[in-house]
Amino acid sequence: MRALTVVLALSIACLASPAPAAAQEGHPLKGSWIGKWEKNTIHGADVIIVLNWDGKAITGMINPGTDNIAIKNASLNPDTWTVHLEGDAKDKSGALITYVLDGKIENLAMANRTITGTWKNQKESGALKIGRQ
Amino acid sequence: MKFRVTTGVLFSVVAALLLAAAPTAHHEILAKFDDKKPMSLTGIVTSVDWANPHVHLFMTVRTGNENVNWAIELASPIDLNHSGWTRETVQPGESIKVDGIAARNGSRQVWANTVVTSANGRQVLNVRAAAPPPPLGNRPTPRWPDGQPRLGTLPGVDGYWGYPSSTVLTENNANIPMSEHGLLKNVADAPKVAPMQPWALSLYRMRQQRFLQDDPMFLNCKPPGGVRQYQSAYGLQFVEDRDRKRIFVLIGSGNRNYRIIYLDGRGHAGQVGGDDDNPLYYGRAVGMWEKDTLVVDTRGFNEDFWFTNGGLPHTEQLKLVERFTRENLDTLKYEVTIDDPGAYTRPWSSSWTLRWVADEILPAHLCQDNRP
Repeated sequence: MRALTVVLALSIACLASPAPAAAQEGHPLKGSWIGKWEKNTIHGADVIIVLNWDGKAITGMINPGTDNIAIKNASLNPDTWTVHLEGDAKDKSGALITYVLDGKIENLAMANRTITGTWKNQKESGALKIGRQ
Repeated sequence: MKFRVTTGVLFSVVAALLLAAAPTAHHEILAKFDDKKPMSLTGIVTSVDWANPHVHLFMTVRTGNENVNWAIELASPIDLNHSGWTRETVQPGESIKVDGIAARNGSRQVWANTVVTSANGRQVLNVRAAAPPPPLGNRPTPRWPDGQPRLGTLPGVDGYWGYPSSTVLTENNANIPMSEHGLLKNVADAPKVAPMQPWALSLYRMRQQRFLQDDPMFLNCKPPGGVRQYQSAYGLQFVEDRDRKRIFVLIGSGNRNYRIIYLDGRGHAGQVGGDDDNPLYYGRAVGMWEKDTLVVDTRGFNEDFWFTNGGLPHTEQLKLVERFTRENLDTLKYEVTIDDPGAYTRPWSSSWTLRWVADEILPAHLCQDNRP
């Protein structure tokens, strides 16, 4: 029992330790972003966004594997490093809603850069803060 | 002993003169130090840390009623050795005067432009950029028995390739003023360097405006992948393994790594133990000889490093076609076409030469402990 407690404690400690973000010197949006879209009662406050860059367009997914919101419209303004993402989803009643996320990349030079801004759909809105993993 | 920080026009003029002959470094000095913060220190050496990538002197400087510790950063042991400096040149307990520039972050660190011993006024630091050895006539290209040019050494002879004619990558060798580490004199010149996409140009500008201080080769000893290995200060070597139809490129700078060029006709997909989905710092390189030129096609780069001095961005879509031609014993011509539709608007090219450094082994410049 004691050994189990130690293993459990170590496991929790490992999970609690922040993992260093992998270096990413290419397109600043590429990668996995994890954080919060606060006050989201439909899809929960936690959010994961996976983004890619194919040379012409930004593609990606919000909450891959769970809610599966495909990003249908994404843009980056490199003059201001502001980001715009859109994706269609369904609310709890099955009605179509469109998420619109707007934010700005901060700490651009760092691997663990962040995007801070806002999110909204037809029913709710709130603050957005995600960090690159 | 006195601690003195002198400012003013006179000092600025002197500093400018000193900087004109600034010692070399393995990375951009201005990334860490501010040339607008000249500093003069007089004190006692407490320790000499003779190690790559930069030698450090530690000294105490009397400031008011206190002894304050300072770290003095110097060039690499290789450059200091070339200039006649050894680990015994300055000893702990010796009084010295250091003139240099202060760290940007306000820490007690100085990049030394000159170090003078107080006892006899002898200037002990006077590093100059090493010049390539004079060519010994137009010696013919060394060849294997079947007539193919040798890229490496002859049996029993030391040598390596160094002194690249350009240490910065620009399209078609555009003459854009910048430091040997790729720091633009004028950031407005950024669009002239290469045909970058808007995001890449903006990122490149940002890196320039931060004096290249985010360079992962400097910060984390990341490998000089891509073309960077052919523009590095401490050269490279080719080891031709003809039995196994591959060439090892040993890299003198960065983290002392190597690159493999396969000449056995293999393709690109999954050729190294199924790494087709695992992009690499040096990519996957396959080559073939076209008469006297080795043509190398490299793909599969990761995005975890800067592929050029100066921080030109790239993506995993980067493809390089490199052409190596040993024009004579002393000259290696390097031509490269950069094709990265993820970061550039079209393929673009550049070329330069490297010089054979005879009778010397590849300098042992190591960067593997993330030390400054």
